[in-house]
Amino acid sequence: MGGVEHSEPPLKRVKVPLGDLKNLVGEVSHIVPVSSSLGDSMARSPCSQGAEEMVGMKGVIKKQEFVKIITRALYSLGYVRTGALLEEESGIPLHSTAVALLLDQVRGEKWEESLVTLHKIGLSDEIMVKRASFLLLEQKFFDLLKEENLMAALDTLRNEIVPLSVDVGRVRELASFIICPSQCVALRISSQDGTDANSRSGFKEKLEKLLPAAVMIPERRLEHLVEQALDVQRDACVFHNTLDSEFSLYVDHQCGRNQIPSHTLQILQAHKDEVWFLQFSHNGKYLASASKDHTTVVWEVKESDLVLLKHTLTGHQQPVLTITWSPDDSQLLTCGVEEVVRRWDVNTGECLHVYEKAGVGLISCGWFPDGKGIVSGMKDKSICLWDLDGRELECWKGQRTLNISDMAITDDGKRIISICRENAILLLDREAKFERLIEEKQVITSFSLSEDNKFLLVNLMNQELHLWSIEGDIKVVAHYRGHIRTRFLIRSCFGGFEQAFIASGSEDSQVYIWHRDTGKLLLTLAGHSGAVNCVSWNPMDPHMLASASDDRTIRIWGLDGLNCKGHCSNGNGIT
Amino acid sequence: EKMGRIFSVNLEGKIYSCKHCRTHIALMDDIVSKSFHCRHGKAYLFSKVVNVTVGTKEERMMMTGLHTVADIFCVRCGSIVGWTYETAHQKDQKYKEGKSVLERYKISGPDGSNYWASHEAHVGGSDAEDV
Repeated sequence: MGGVEHSEPPLKRVKVPLGDLKNLVGEVSHIVPVSSSLGDSMARSPCSQGAEEMVGMKGVIKKQEFVKIITRALYSLGYVRTGALLEEESGIPLHSTAVALLLDQVRGEKWEESLVTLHKIGLSDEIMVKRASFLLLEQKFFDLLKEENLMAALDTLRNEIVPLSVDVGRVRELASFIICPSQCVALRISSQDGTDANSRSGFKEKLEKLLPAAVMIPERRLEHLVEQALDVQRDACVFHNTLDSEFSLYVDHQCGRNQIPSHTLQILQAHKDEVWFLQFSHNGKYLASASKDHTTVVWEVKESDLVLLKHTLTGHQQPVLTITWSPDDSQLLTCGVEEVVRRWDVNTGECLHVYEKAGVGLISCGWFPDGKGIVSGMKDKSICLWDLDGRELECWKGQRTLNISDMAITDDGKRIISICRENAILLLDREAKFERLIEEKQVITSFSLSEDNKFLLVNLMNQELHLWSIEGDIKVVAHYRGHIRTRFLIRSCFGGFEQAFIASGSEDSQVYIWHRDTGKLLLTLAGHSGAVNCVSWNPMDPHMLASASDDRTIRIWGLDGLNCKGHCSNGNGIT
Repeated sequence: EKMGRIFSVNLEGKIYSCKHCRTHIALMDDIVSKSFHCRHGKAYLFSKVVNVTVGTKEERMMMTGLHTVADIFCVRCGSIVGWTYETAHQKDQKYKEGKSVLERYKISGPDGSNYWASHEAHVGGSDAEDV
């Protein structure tokens, strides 16, 4: 401890909530920057009684606190000499004399003395003082037990601990140790509360957490503040699309827009008519596209990001309007317009089964999460559930779906999601057998379910995208605008690292990309020569996006060729 | 001719649909007035129409005065089916705002009936009600 006997200003007679340094800022009444020259923030002269010295350009950091957390960090890092030197040179001791004495006594296991010192610190929160006393007396109790001095231990319990009237449950536990001390030896002492080196620090931690942060500077406070700042930087980085966790403390983190796929890597030409739908497999190794030409094409995504045609699946007599990958990506379901659903083997390209219902066309399809059943929406507005061999397992009649509707099932198999009215989406809970509705003021054209099943992205007739939270409170949490939709069914999706982006097709032949949290339109990708009907972001590669267009092609988008790691260094974050 | 996957809604009840492609446009229940006229003959005023795209707004002098209107087209085949009232400049015509007129000649009625252009079509042009 530094040898300077610095008379510390008395601790404020105000209750300080645990660990909440922020409140202290509000309570300071005299903030007088000692230095008078503009911009000079680090004053060197020691503070005079009553005036708080500030540090930093904004005048919100108190010098004393700043130095103390640095001192704490130095000690945590093991630089004891430097820590002590800092305390001496700055004249700002880490702990007040009383606290320092307390810690010393605790270290020396002098419980009686430490109790006395505890009361000298001048804490105003009585409950807190009692709780701290409890902890100290507990240690005294255990020591007595260890010495097998049962009478003294009982005495401590009765006359010192019980009168505190805190932690009554714990008191009962302690009493039980007196009754069978051997139990105590076997069970408790071996864990955190005993007397070996490990447990001593457990107790010390508890004590530190109990006392106010201003008294016992929390360990790792500086690290915590830095991590908080990094979080803020990361959240502010709208282009953040990488797993790269290299945050430097030297410059503010800011990704360049070149982290988002924006460059056409490939144009896939296989379909003979408009491509209406496409989707990557769960493992990101395949892409399937559905077209008005009645076929579905399965593409393989190679290591080099090259996408090659694997199979063309023929059989439908109508345009194929949707595709769903089986949970293990080994099979595909495709649905023809008001026709049948076909199940295919991805590896061989064979059609394994055709699902149909006499007299009723099918309009959507989905897999059950266990891969053992399929769900399909019908033209007559019902939803049917089949096993793989085509046996009908269940059928929900009534207005469950519309002539044009998407179909989704949550990964736990509990909820089936379908557009049931012009402006409403049905969330059908299979188990609880109840239904919830998402209602919009506009006509709903399509929707997309997030990977975590907690959000639904809804496309509306008036060209707006609404992001709904469907877990717990059902409500809209974001809007996205900018793309064009006047006649067609245009789809949008989630994507990128942690699904931080929203992408959509558009009738103006471009792909639109927004930042999910802020709703900000980030990029529009031009290239297609026809309306972009559907987009899919590779779930395993945040840098790969695919789009399907009326121009009969599919484009694979990737990062710009000049792929720099994207740090626009702006030093102290002035954007 | 590129078309994309047209998004259209299906109506239920007594439906008026596009004469060319049968896309649903309006319900009989939503007829406000049958006393409208257009170049080709009769026209009905509907409170609500679906599956149409709206053209550009323009000022048009109708039989009942100046209005801001836009032509409406079938979303599927693109043929013109009527017009919609954006703004009426006279107080007593305000009731038309937000409503649409479908030309009887362009749509098939609920019983599938079509209407043929009358040779005595009004030379004066479109609109009317106050008959």
